[in-house]
Amino acid sequence: MRAGFTTSVIMHAALIGFGLFSLSAPSAFEVADVEALPVDIVPMEDITQIQQGDKKATMQEKAAPTPTQRPDIVADAQKAGENSVDTDKLITPEAKPKPVQQSNTPPPSPTPTEKPAQEDAPKPKEEAKPTPATEVAPKPQPKEEVKPDPVKEPDPKPQPVKEPEPAPKPPEQNTASIEALSKPDPVAEAIASEKPVEEAVKLPDAAPAPQAKPRPQPAQAETAKAPERKDADKPAKEAASKPKSDEKEFNADDIAALLDKQKASGGGAKRSSQQASLGGEKTTSGNRLSQNEMDALRQKLGGCWSIPAGVDDAETLKVSVRFHLDRSGALQDRPEVIKGGASSGPGRTAAESAVRAVQKCAPFNLPTDKYDSWSEVVVNFDPSDMF
Amino acid sequence: MENIALAEPAAQLSIWALFMQAGWVVKLVMLGLLGASIWTWAIIVDKLVAYGRMKLTLNRFEQVFWSGQSLEELYRTLADRKTTGMSAIFVAAMREWKKSFEKGAKSPLGLQNRIDKAMDLALTREMERLEGRLGFLATIGSAAPFIGLFGTVVGIMTSFQAIAASKNTNLSVVAPGIAEALLATAIGLLAAIPAVIAYNKLSSDAGKLGVRMEGFADEFSAILSRQIDEKVAQRV
Repeated sequence: MRAGFTTSVIMHAALIGFGLFSLSAPSAFEVADVEALPVDIVPMEDITQIQQGDKKATMQEKAAPTPTQRPDIVADAQKAGENSVDTDKLITPEAKPKPVQQSNTPPPSPTPTEKPAQEDAPKPKEEAKPTPATEVAPKPQPKEEVKPDPVKEPDPKPQPVKEPEPAPKPPEQNTASIEALSKPDPVAEAIASEKPVEEAVKLPDAAPAPQAKPRPQPAQAETAKAPERKDADKPAKEAASKPKSDEKEFNADDIAALLDKQKASGGGAKRSSQQASLGGEKTTSGNRLSQNEMDALRQKLGGCWSIPAGVDDAETLKVSVRFHLDRSGALQDRPEVIKGGASSGPGRTAAESAVRAVQKCAPFNLPTDKYDSWSEVVVNFDPSDMF
Repeated sequence: MENIALAEPAAQLSIWALFMQAGWVVKLVMLGLLGASIWTWAIIVDKLVAYGRMKLTLNRFEQVFWSGQSLEELYRTLADRKTTGMSAIFVAAMREWKKSFEKGAKSPLGLQNRIDKAMDLALTREMERLEGRLGFLATIGSAAPFIGLFGTVVGIMTSFQAIAASKNTNLSVVAPGIAEALLATAIGLLAAIPAVIAYNKLSSDAGKLGVRMEGFADEFSAILSRQIDEKVAQRV
């Protein structure tokens, strides 16, 4: 027995020793590092439902939105400052301050000499110059400005275009201004207004000239826009403009001209070179009402509907009603019975009750972005569904 | 030893670490099972050796017995030796035979009975010696899995309590406790499986030896009975 026991002990010791050293720690599982993918559950309708396109276009394999109407701003547009034309010259910013200077200068009257020298069309400018020269005149002008504009809406163009016009005014205004001072403006306006119109007709040639002139002369720069108001504004601004002009020369507009004038919306996101495919006005998150929304609508209508009692034939109570809603969910017109109902008897009662139900529930609270789908609603009133 | 990349390095999973982490109940169970296993293997080794030796002696005795040697002579050589197996039965029978004849037994029937009794006794004693301790193997075979299971249940119970206290259900927190608890069952099975197999084998071996000795006893009894009849006939 002792032999057996010792062999057993030796055997176990050997086994355990072997186990301790060889069976030590099992190696860890090699778990592949798999990145967890976030999974969102997106309703299929969001994708399959209406995307932007043309309502009348044929189906195309690839969805394309309607090309935008407004030409997108070209990426490297050089329309700087207040230019209405696409040029790379930075003219505009200086335009405003200088007319003011001119208006300031007139008293010394250096300007008159300059303008004629540069431009062949002497009439407008020479005439224009007198206006500043006669310092008395400016005062009446501002008054005129305010009033004539509203009065003569058709005429505004001739006025701005022609610097010359103001010229004639001053002499008259000088006379008239005295009157104008004492008299109410309308008289002066009438006088002033008639003449500009006449002259506008007379001097079509002269009109373009002043516009053209300013461009070559950045110094005097009277741009197309500027001349319009300047004649009128000059006097008004004189007082205020002097300080401003100094400031502007230093910074604001120069810097503004250097800034990128491109609008933030100028990107080409919506731009499509392809023909528009079938789609709605804009991409919506599913155009069709969801089952929940339809259910809510149905339930609401069911609550508003009082089923005519005492009719044994349920078939006669089946009524289909069509009605149009505006964006706020309100009824646009009287609901129209398009199916079922009758001109008399229980059928008529049923039809009327259905119409009443719609009217009673009237402002419907439906998702605005799906307006396309519920602008027109057809509801089937069936008493068997209600129970 | 490689460090495990899992969880905290403190939770080692080597067998020794598992054992050391276990609670005292589980430790006790594991140690008990280890002891049982050792004892089981001791018995197995002992029995295998004993049975092999027994088989050898049986073979040698049978060879000698059937070699035509005089029974008297054989008895004289075996009488003062320590005998096992068939030789023990032979010696027991011969001793009874001698006692009865030397004192001049009257009834051959009584003599026959006494010889049979003596041989039965010797046979039983031999069988008892052969089959002794086999019962322990049977017990271990059936009980060790349960003991191991007990250790596992206790271990898992405590580890779950610990998990509940730590308020962390991460698998790397749960796993070591369960692994440690399962070690108890593993040891239980480790002890039980060889025990069961060895019990079946050893008991069948013992049965075979017993049958062989019984056969010899019957045969020898027949021989002696013939001798008795011959003696009686001579007297008459």
